[in-house]
Amino acid sequence: MDVYCSNNVLQARRTVEQLRLETELQRIKISAAAEQIVQYCQEHRRADPLLTGIAASSNPFKDKKTCVLL
Amino acid sequence: MGEMEQMKKEAEGLKTQIEAARKAVNDTDMASAAAGVAPAPRVQLKTRRTLKGHLAKIYAMHWCTDNRLMVSASQDGKLLIWDSHSGNKVNAVPLKSSWVMTCAYAPSGNLVASGGLDNMCTVYNLKTPVIKTVKELDAHAGYLSCCRFLSDNEILTASGDTTCALWDLETGKQTTVFLSHVGDCMCLALSPDNNSFISGACDSLAKLWDIRDGQCKQTFLGHTSDINAISFLPSGNAVVTGSDDCTCKMYDLRADQEVICYQDAALNSGVTSLALSMSGRLVFAGYDDFNCNIWDSLKGEKVGVLSGHDNRVSCTGVPADGMCVCTGSWDSFLKIWN
Repeated sequence: MDVYCSNNVLQARRTVEQLRLETELQRIKISAAAEQIVQYCQEHRRADPLLTGIAASSNPFKDKKTCVLL
Repeated sequence: MGEMEQMKKEAEGLKTQIEAARKAVNDTDMASAAAGVAPAPRVQLKTRRTLKGHLAKIYAMHWCTDNRLMVSASQDGKLLIWDSHSGNKVNAVPLKSSWVMTCAYAPSGNLVASGGLDNMCTVYNLKTPVIKTVKELDAHAGYLSCCRFLSDNEILTASGDTTCALWDLETGKQTTVFLSHVGDCMCLALSPDNNSFISGACDSLAKLWDIRDGQCKQTFLGHTSDINAISFLPSGNAVVTGSDDCTCKMYDLRADQEVICYQDAALNSGVTSLALSMSGRLVFAGYDDFNCNIWDSLKGEKVGVLSGHDNRVSCTGVPADGMCVCTGSWDSFLKIWN
């Protein structure tokens, strides 16, 4: 009974300490945060192969068709 | 029991404060903020490679930083190293325990690691004439669900014992133990600057940690079931999570809350894995329903699907150069798409 009590107390203390820490966080508005994410995506979109598509000639995974001698 | 009552009361009070602080900055959501952005094109990718070789369910895969080699782990008791360009197997590492749940490639390409129900993280050197076990990291009290190398000297692990840990590979000991989750830790991801990492757990929470001081800095709420997959956006300012509650969510670190949810009424399978494209615009999420759905991260719309596996998609990965996406499945195959 005592061990459970002290484990619960320890857990509760940790939870309170963690919550105290998280209360101190400085938060910025979602509008400002989201704008930066949008900006990053836009700035890097041309360098994103899966978004722009990959030309067959520069695609390392494209199977090169070999000439077959009949 | 006066102290417990007091602490419960204080905890509730602090939670209310945090909720109010989040609400105070909740002036919009991601979809609204991205209203002016052109929609992402419909993404139709082709299977370029089907990698056959494993004899049982694949549980994990990880790309090497050279964008060519990758490691996969299967409950057939093997790690396979693949050359994704040729589709050939470069190496096979037999595992002491076949109950593997995770694998990782070191950034140097010299080492790989794996672990699972043996509660250990085993590190192998691929560069010795014969592949050697370098270390067996044995201190977790639960299964190893995820591991990621910081360097050839340090590795992070996530465990079913609810903790994450940073290990020194020279001594084989834990340098730091990250305590805060109250459920099995299922996944972790390193921040682009390597100073922090994020973890997802069965307590449905995602937590941001400072690697050096061991502190949990932030806790993200919203999911209603286990978080199985997690990744940082390339900018490092947000994270995306995937859960058994069938949704993925993006959490912004500086707003300290969820900014968008990727969900569909028709989707009632859990998310097992996820990976982001290079710009962060596309989210590739693997589901229990055998598919990998592609989401527009800014608008929250589904823009494509990767269908081809005959069983659950268990792992997903995009290499550093963003040139393809790899999916691994319980059907024992890995597929490369672009």
